Amino acid sequence: MKTPKKNNRKSFSKSIVFSLVFLVLGFIMAYSYSLSSANKETKGFTGGAFFEQEEQYREELIDQQERNKDLRDELQEKQSGVQEYERSFADGEDRYTEYAAEAEELRRFLGLVPVQGNGLKVTLQDGDYNPDSVNPNDYIVHESHVFQVINELYISGAQAISINGQRIHGNSYIVCTGPVITVDGVQYPAPFVIEAIGEPEVLTSSIELTGGIMDQLINDNIIVTLDGGQVIEMPALLTES
Amino acid sequence: MWLSILGLILGISLGLLTDIQIPPEYANYLSIAVLASLDTLFGGIRAHLQQVYDDKVFVSGFFFNIALAAGLAFLGVHLGVDLYLAAIFAFGVRLFQNIAVIRRIILAKWAEKKEVRETI
Repeated sequence: MKTPKKNNRKSFSKSIVFSLVFLVLGFIMAYSYSLSSANKETKGFTGGAFFEQEEQYREELIDQQERNKDLRDELQEKQSGVQEYERSFADGEDRYTEYAAEAEELRRFLGLVPVQGNGLKVTLQDGDYNPDSVNPNDYIVHESHVFQVINELYISGAQAISINGQRIHGNSYIVCTGPVITVDGVQYPAPFVIEAIGEPEVLTSSIELTGGIMDQLINDNIIVTLDGGQVIEMPALLTES
Repeated sequence: MWLSILGLILGISLGLLTDIQIPPEYANYLSIAVLASLDTLFGGIRAHLQQVYDDKVFVSGFFFNIALAAGLAFLGVHLGVDLYLAAIFAFGVRLFQNIAVIRRIILAKWAEKKEVRETI
């Protein structure tokens, strides 16, 4: 009885040792197996390293190409912009003459340049002394008369107007100061010579319109003289008269 | 017997489940260790069949061979000599010898059994 028990215990310890041995064996083999399979994978990866690199290069190339394309598009856009600009420049060349003419005209209106040309000369003179009239205002030229004439002349296409040789411009003012009128700070007595550059016929006919300025002025006992068809010269605004 | 099978299964599952990554150059050591353990196992079987089996020799041989093979490979890697080839060669030759001996013994036993049966 004793020996089998001892034998049993011995076999038990033996089996424990064996189990330990087999555990180590199994572990080593399995681990080696899994490691080698993992290695194979990494090997595939290292084999694919070239592939990966190639892929990377290809991606870089694609990136570069895309960038090139973008830049090319940008260049094209800029070029078309330049073309547009050039075209507008060429158009502008044609327009420059228009602009210059317009500027010239505007300058004439502003009185910045001396002008000369055909026009109409309107002379407004105080009426003859009328002993019947108590009020001398009834027969002298007022600034409103001058205004009316100037407005009429402008409306009918006068390009430049002067009063007694003084240019009228956009900011001109005409004030009545007793028996004289002040044009831009300069006093003028009657008679007032209003010169206008433009089409003499048009200006004359517009002044002489029935019921127009002419009639009103005559109604106010003002002596009006129209003198068209001669070359009128006007100084620039800033030149001293 | 059951315990040893259990240990084997446990070891295999443990080895498959472990996710430790070791550098590929150390995989050589492991292969050597596998070879050493197999050699020792077959050596033990042969010894058992030849009735010269000893527990202590087997267990000590098992672990010592593994350690020695791994150490040799390690030394070889660091010396620049492929010493693990020596271990592989030695263990491989011994493995084949052991298996051959086991085969012969089994064949002899089988033949003996057959003879006995025939005589009966």
